[in-house]
Amino acid sequence: MNRSESDKSRRSLVDRFFFDWHDAEALGAVRFYFGIGLAAYLVYQYTQLLRLDAFGEHFVFTRPIWYFWLLGIDTHVSWLPFIVAPIMVAACLYFAFGKWTKPAIIVVILCIFYMKGARDSFTGDVHHREIPIFAMLVLFFFSKCDRMFGIDARKRNWRPIQDWEASWPLRAMQVYIAMFYFWALIAKLRLSGLDWFSAGGRIQDMLIARAVRDGFTPTGDVVNLSLAWDLAQNPQAVFWIGLLVFAFELLFPIILFVRDWRIKLFMLIGAALFHVSNFVLLSVDFLLYPFVFVAFFNMNRFHEWAKSKLRLKRPALAAS
Amino acid sequence: MNSKTSAKRFLALYFVIFFGAVFLRVDYFPLSWVPMYGYRHLSETLTVKFGDLSVRSRGLLAQRANGQTLFVSADDLNIPSGHFRRMFHQRVFNDGPPQDDRERLELASFNRWWYETFVGPDPRLNRNHSRQVLTSVNGTFGYEPGDPQRIVRLEAPVEFATYTRDQLASGDLIHPAIERRTAIITENGSFVRRGNGAIERMPDGIRPTGAIE
Repeated sequence: MNRSESDKSRRSLVDRFFFDWHDAEALGAVRFYFGIGLAAYLVYQYTQLLRLDAFGEHFVFTRPIWYFWLLGIDTHVSWLPFIVAPIMVAACLYFAFGKWTKPAIIVVILCIFYMKGARDSFTGDVHHREIPIFAMLVLFFFSKCDRMFGIDARKRNWRPIQDWEASWPLRAMQVYIAMFYFWALIAKLRLSGLDWFSAGGRIQDMLIARAVRDGFTPTGDVVNLSLAWDLAQNPQAVFWIGLLVFAFELLFPIILFVRDWRIKLFMLIGAALFHVSNFVLLSVDFLLYPFVFVAFFNMNRFHEWAKSKLRLKRPALAAS
Repeated sequence: MNSKTSAKRFLALYFVIFFGAVFLRVDYFPLSWVPMYGYRHLSETLTVKFGDLSVRSRGLLAQRANGQTLFVSADDLNIPSGHFRRMFHQRVFNDGPPQDDRERLELASFNRWWYETFVGPDPRLNRNHSRQVLTSVNGTFGYEPGDPQRIVRLEAPVEFATYTRDQLASGDLIHPAIERRTAIITENGSFVRRGNGAIERMPDGIRPTGAIE
């Protein structure tokens, strides 16, 4: 056993889990791809506000979200999202490209608070789509994510960070993302016990409720979500889907101990399919959420690989 | 974080806050115990709402204080269609957002203590969602109390379809028991007109069973 190996074995499990997982370059590269994905994700989340008439009525919220209530914000100023949204996208891009990274994170968070608050205050249904995003942005903020792979890092010639400085925020993000699924399972068991899964379970109830909420066509088909309607009529299949959800949410945290990128990719494709299915069958809008999975990979290696492929392509195009 | 020790301290604080919310069942952005679709009310029947896009697009049937009738649509209120659907199917029937159902269910005594001490009583004990719709509609159009233009009555008809557990178990979704109910919101209270013509005051306490959406 050489010296570095014996050093490694002496370190605690916590140290190895959080500090020995990623290269220094990974954090900045994840920031870049996460930032690009974040811009698209947030625009998609708040498009419904941008479809409203900027100069139309200012709706008085039926139930403002808690911080709007505290601040006395009780009306939707319909032109404001048209100002906040470009600022939010610009801040995401500044964050992605590593220019004024930390201030950009604060701006993105403030914009999320406003846009989410507006969206969730019309009728008071509070959605959870920004919660993991916020938790990840906090980690980016307190990390040295701006020190590499960005405009400021290049211009100011900052010295590179060490591997452990890049590793812990990424590992903390992975823990948060993985546990989000696990906590969802625990919440089901705390609220409903195994009743959530029995027979067609909550999934069948939701498939029916969502499929019929826009009504039927003259021929008797549902107007939207016809796949959900068909599936709801097969409770046996729905039961097995419920078991699959149980297994997925229970076992997903195993990904935290997987180093092989191919196995991780396989698991995350499964998670992405879970979100796509939720969207297609139930209109649960975590469709673009899988962009957060970039936190599980050394995106710097991916970036180099992508660049080399593009470089190879260019001469080929020139030759043709 | 310039040292591993400070990074570890930060991580400890971070997880205490974010995962502490899970143990305390906090569901206020940016914290959550991730309960989203975790609640299933298991009963002998399942009641859902059969929507009707054309009826919903036309809007809520409204009456002004001066007797004039009109329809108030999502476009009139300048709100997204999904929120108008929730208003039309849920709030006017005095059904609150799903987080109200989840918040106080199956609470451990410690959770109950801190909710009642720091947040307040169960929001389902005094539901006022239907009346709030009337207030919001008038507020949006700028109508003051006493204004003859103000809206004094709103109506929304929705078909409630009830399935038995046997029907659900066999996948027979074609033959539910259907009842048309009309929510009627006035300045003097909220009511439901049932299919047989009977008019009842809208329930405002914790409902034993509700239609899901």
